[in-house]
Amino acid sequence: MAARLRPLRRLVYIYFRCLGQQMKAILAYEADFVILMISAGIVQISGFLFIWTVFARIPNINGWTFWQVVMMYSLIFITEGVGSLFFEGTWRLSRLVYTGEFDQMLLRPVSPIVQVLAGAVGFNGLGNIITGGMLLAVSLGNVNVAWTPGRALMLVILVASAATIRVAINLGTSATAFWIRAPWSMVPFFVHQLGEFAKYPITIYSLGVQAVVVVVIPFAFISFFPTAYLFNVASWGVIGLITPLVAIYSLIMGVWAFNFGLKRYESTGH
Amino acid sequence: MALIEASGLTKKFRQAVKEPGLVGSLKHFFTRQYKDKLAVDHIDLSVEAGESVAYLGPNGAGKSTTIKMLTGILVPTSGTLIVDGLVPHLRRQQNARNIGVVFGQRTTLWWDIPVVESFNLARDIYDIPAKRYKKNLAEFTELLGLAEFMNIPAGKVSLGQRMRADLCMALLHDPKLLYLDEPTIGLDIAVKDSIRKFVRRQVDERGVTVMLTTHDLGDIEDICNRIVIIDKGRIIHDGDLKALKDNYARDRVIHFQLARPPVSMDPICAGLPMCDVESDGLALSVRFDRFKFAAGEIAAAVMDHVEVVDFKIDEPEVEDLIRKVYLGQLSLTAPETAAALEPAVASEA
Amino acid sequence: MRHLRKYLSLAKASLEIIFVYRAGFLVNQIGSIFYVVAMFYLWQVIFLGKAGNLGYFTWPQMKAYLLIAFLLNSLMTWFDEWQMGQDIREGRVATDLARPVDFQVKRFAEAVGPVPFELTSALCIGAIVAVAFGGIAFPSDPAHLALFVLSAALATLLKFAFIYCVSMIAFWTTGMNGIQNARFAIQSIFSGALIPLVFFPDWLRAIASVLPFQSMVSTPALTYLGTMDGPTTALMIGIQVAWAVALLLLGRLVWRSAVKAVTINGG
Repeated sequence: MAARLRPLRRLVYIYFRCLGQQMKAILAYEADFVILMISAGIVQISGFLFIWTVFARIPNINGWTFWQVVMMYSLIFITEGVGSLFFEGTWRLSRLVYTGEFDQMLLRPVSPIVQVLAGAVGFNGLGNIITGGMLLAVSLGNVNVAWTPGRALMLVILVASAATIRVAINLGTSATAFWIRAPWSMVPFFVHQLGEFAKYPITIYSLGVQAVVVVVIPFAFISFFPTAYLFNVASWGVIGLITPLVAIYSLIMGVWAFNFGLKRYESTGH
Repeated sequence: MALIEASGLTKKFRQAVKEPGLVGSLKHFFTRQYKDKLAVDHIDLSVEAGESVAYLGPNGAGKSTTIKMLTGILVPTSGTLIVDGLVPHLRRQQNARNIGVVFGQRTTLWWDIPVVESFNLARDIYDIPAKRYKKNLAEFTELLGLAEFMNIPAGKVSLGQRMRADLCMALLHDPKLLYLDEPTIGLDIAVKDSIRKFVRRQVDERGVTVMLTTHDLGDIEDICNRIVIIDKGRIIHDGDLKALKDNYARDRVIHFQLARPPVSMDPICAGLPMCDVESDGLALSVRFDRFKFAAGEIAAAVMDHVEVVDFKIDEPEVEDLIRKVYLGQLSLTAPETAAALEPAVASEA
Repeated sequence: MRHLRKYLSLAKASLEIIFVYRAGFLVNQIGSIFYVVAMFYLWQVIFLGKAGNLGYFTWPQMKAYLLIAFLLNSLMTWFDEWQMGQDIREGRVATDLARPVDFQVKRFAEAVGPVPFELTSALCIGAIVAVAFGGIAFPSDPAHLALFVLSAALATLLKFAFIYCVSMIAFWTTGMNGIQNARFAIQSIFSGALIPLVFFPDWLRAIASVLPFQSMVSTPALTYLGTMDGPTTALMIGIQVAWAVALLLLGRLVWRSAVKAVTINGG
């Protein structure tokens, strides 16, 4: 068993080694690092100000309360932060393939996925995680449900699942770089923007939009369903329980998409 | 069994044919048309361990396509390819452990971190045992003079420094095979020289096998024993470098400076059969087949008839030879006889 | 006026470039329209639901407001702080300094060049969204429309002036990503693009009124809707002019000291 785990442990180790080097390189530019963090905070505060202003005028949106929407925002921010801090590399893939630098990753005895994921660090992600975390904590304080150990564990699992889904979406869409040669990632950005819909309860959308963010690109499982579960909202909350499964499924699909694209890249060259 | 064994190796690319403009894009969207491009056409290549091979060809000949297949990043269309017992594209990561690569145009170092940190990362990525890593690093640091910029980020060192660091990077894990792609491009002559010597030393002392693609023929002369030329996807020559020069680059030219212009060229030319003699005032040059005549013979023959003040000898140029091959003026299908060589000589005159 | 030709050709070149990169630009636009569509759904629920009556706008007016915000945000996207950082890093600024062009005017020419393309694209996309959601409010008379066009032009000029000033920071720092994000976030909220300023609590409204951002979206949008009376409209447009002039001048001042810093330190 230990022998089976060894390649996996090695991959994780290599991943953190590469990521660590990226972080060191960025931290060398201290001023920029601080500005990035602060700007991330400002972005989120402005988002928070927005909801707060809206809810100052109306009691709820389709029955969803202020704190529920805040929690949805917080999950979006946290997962975005995790993506930027630990997996920013996916955004570089397009450029790497376009310039031919990606070939170097193929010439090393390490999985190209790990190399791509560890290839960049966005410190604004740290700001996102911190402020997102604070928003999450505050909104949890306004949950009128008894906290059991099971519920607390589920919280952790849900946040981890949400982050996984986000990263999986980024990875999977970044694979389009193997088909569309462009210096920057068009499709991943496009799909990422769909995440805007995930900031609000999906009940406000038409059925078509709901179908897209639930089934096609499961953004709803990053924010809406986990929130529904944690606030114990009638029928929606139950669906929140399958979030971890959606996370695993998304991860498998993301990796599969990448490998599929890689195979095509290897057979058609540039 | 050879280290690299390729048989009937072929790569065919399918290129989309699209008419320019908006109409073309729309048309293409509905009915796709493709054109096949045969980049590598059934080549056979066999490289033994310890050989040092120059892989030449004009741009677009199929060099980089071949190298990509050898390194496992491109899947061949047909044919067999085995490198050190592995099929490269099927066992890419394993193959990667056996090879080191240096690109002249691009670095393998991480851009923003100190050079030594890139080496340390390589140690982890290639699982180099600590003792061996230390030993190799110390040796290469000394041989390549890396100490002065070890702690500077790769993005901030000079081109020559970067190339040397890239070489170290490629060899730290003791690969059996070293691929060099334009390794001395843009470098000054001193650095070029030290890099060539270093590579040659790795071949001689460590038994590293080298595949060199380059347009710099100085690289070839200093590093390689064997020269393979590819053109339009086919190998048109594969053989010993020395033999190539012996068979095709047989011309030497002696430039004489005379005391007085010769009265008549006839006696001189009579004394130099099968030689190409040119005269221009006080300058006289004789082109001869170095296997037929010794330089001394030629000089003596000239001095029999005129007073020579000074002379200079030009050695056979591989560059010249290769250029002719690329231009299609020379065909390297079989060792040439002197008679067959004459048309090439004539076109030179 | 020979000079004008120089800048016109710069603007034209800029337009050609964005046309070449039209795929990327369009993807960007469609990406940002998602945000607008989400807003439409959100506000629709608010306006049409029993949850509350917001009083200040009607639903058609709100839809118009959101699309105008989208329209104005779509213009001058080709010019940002990050680009300035790149220009400095890659030596384009150094070559500009050696040329007989006014730095600020050149940047303006390059920023305004793509506007026809951006405008057309935004109008098309906006029209689709408008139709999909049942139409928007229109100005009651041509005078209002004309005033709106004036206000929108001023807003765009002002946006340029502001970004230009902020981009000057690039001379003193590496990486402009964070600064650009922050500026965009602050701008989004205080320009009224996210939510009309009338909905702000008083203290926030007070802050917004002294910042230049409201002149970037809120003023032109309200001018379009005709919700401000004559004198107020004139005042708000006057404020737009004032800010535009002030920021353009500030930009020139900052640039002068930036150049001094650069030439002393060797860039």
